Amino acid sequence: MIGALVVVVLVALVALAIYGLVITVLNRPADVWTKRAVGVAVALLAVQAVIAAVRVFSGTSLPETSTFLIYLVVSVCVLPIATQFATAEPNRWGGAVVAVGAVATAVAVWRLQGLWVPGA
Amino acid sequence: MPEPARATASGPGRVLIAVYGVFALSATARAGVQIATRFGEAPVAYLLSALAGVVYILATIGLAGRGPGARRLAWGAVLFELVGVLAVGTLTVLDTGDFPDDTVWSGYGRGYGFIPLVLPLIGLWWLRHTRGR
Repeated sequence: MIGALVVVVLVALVALAIYGLVITVLNRPADVWTKRAVGVAVALLAVQAVIAAVRVFSGTSLPETSTFLIYLVVSVCVLPIATQFATAEPNRWGGAVVAVGAVATAVAVWRLQGLWVPGA
Repeated sequence: MPEPARATASGPGRVLIAVYGVFALSATARAGVQIATRFGEAPVAYLLSALAGVVYILATIGLAGRGPGARRLAWGAVLFELVGVLAVGTLTVLDTGDFPDDTVWSGYGRGYGFIPLVLPLIGLWWLRHTRGR
């Protein structure tokens, strides 16, 4: 994990959650821009996951490696699934579904940061 | 004129299903890790975590499905969830000794922003709101 990237990822996820809620309030369906915003967030998450995984598998020892790796997978997978579900029924609630996925992912990233205690 | 039951998986129901899905995933994954790595430390709490995970999975499937069977499954799972969070919450508040490790329902879901306490209430309201008359 890299401190600066964690901050960027969390800011992106909070922005995505707010964007989703705004879509719901404005009564608009989740559209191509929602998918692009999710794509940016997932790309950042994937970069973070690859860096963290490489460091774990190249010898960085953590107190709870298996829990960390599960959270790492969850952090990348939740948003694509949520977005699929959000756009399957095109109405205002798609944005709120994306927001739920973004918040859940942010919690997972927060937990990842807490579990990243190298050498413990 | 009787109104037919509306789908629980439509409109705001999709947001509810998304939240249930997140809890199904997190509770099951958490229980899986606990049971796989340190089951001996607190078997009751970890089995309870697994039970909570299964209940969230069933509630998600029930709410996302269509027809009377799915609706019955959702009613059962959400009611069980409400009883579970109230029972485990009360037990952990009265006596923490029997629950050395937190579960999703410990302290009425305190570790999860009390969402486990609010979620079944919203679930029951939604099931009632969408049922036929």
